[in-house]
Amino acid sequence: MVRLREAAMLVGVAIVCAAVSNAVASPERRLAWSGSYPNALTVPARASEAPTPMPAVPSVSSAASVEPARDYPPHPDRPWVSISGEEAVALHRRGILFLDARRTGVYLAGHIAGARSFPIWESTVDGAVKKLFEEGTDVNAPLVVYCSGGDCEDSHMLAQKLYGYGFNDVLVYADGFPDWEKRGLAIERGAPR
Amino acid sequence: MIEEPRGWWRSPWLSIRAQLALGVIFVAAAIPKIADPPSFAHMVYNYRLLPGPAINGLSIVLPWIEMLAGLALIVGFWKRTAAGLTAVLLLLFIGALSVNLARGNPVNCGCFDIKAKDKPRAEQLAEMRWTILRDVGFLALAAQVLSAGGRQRRRSG
Repeated sequence: MVRLREAAMLVGVAIVCAAVSNAVASPERRLAWSGSYPNALTVPARASEAPTPMPAVPSVSSAASVEPARDYPPHPDRPWVSISGEEAVALHRRGILFLDARRTGVYLAGHIAGARSFPIWESTVDGAVKKLFEEGTDVNAPLVVYCSGGDCEDSHMLAQKLYGYGFNDVLVYADGFPDWEKRGLAIERGAPR
Repeated sequence: MIEEPRGWWRSPWLSIRAQLALGVIFVAAAIPKIADPPSFAHMVYNYRLLPGPAINGLSIVLPWIEMLAGLALIVGFWKRTAAGLTAVLLLLFIGALSVNLARGNPVNCGCFDIKAKDKPRAEQLAEMRWTILRDVGFLALAAQVLSAGGRQRRRSG
């Protein structure tokens, strides 16, 4: 009984320390106490070593089957549509807004030219999405989100969040920043100008 | 006071070393998680064992439980309680890794290093097996502190 009381006290002190530590942390190191992760209990299917999208919403396009110049109509029935690297390049040339779902530090080290930082794992992301909405961004216009490619799901999580705010045409560039780098395309470093 | 015979397992020499080692291990494990809660939350998410709303709260609090338990072991304050807490945590870690190993979901342990690693699946699964073995070793340290501490308490009481 004494041990249980001591353990409860240790845990209680830990909760207080955690609350203080989180409150004084910088925005990129702060975490909202309750997050929204719809697929938190879904184990990703891994039939092969190939990158796998989140299982809740399948992609509708592939690099081989889609023309880069095609249009991207709103898709209010699903949170996102996957696009290939060629499509991402074409959309970037058209001036479509790109959103980077990776951590702030990684974004600052290098991101797709013109992309804005929406770090899905940081407490600032809700404010950033809200701001995007309040800026009057057309919810039916394409938005491209990306992260680190491979098994990275951050872009899908961000797409889900944007969908929740009413954005109906979110496109996930699944191969993400590594693919962009490999293509030798425009990259910026540091905070957006 | 009557001297009771002690086996090597319960010797004070071993007990103080096990206690300090376990304390240092838990403090070292807590520091990177406290420094970067979002990265740790990402690791917790990858285990796919907790409902979404619980992930962030656990990721904020768990490292501090590790830190306080570790510090308590190092300074020798409430050491049996702290050892008990570390044992419970280690059992949870072993369980979480084992479940993911059984369902073939490779995860980065997130024990001492919370930077995402891009390793082949087979290598990650092999690493998980070694991590479980290592945690069993840490559990033995906690068991040593618990059993030796209990003996001392009865002797002095």
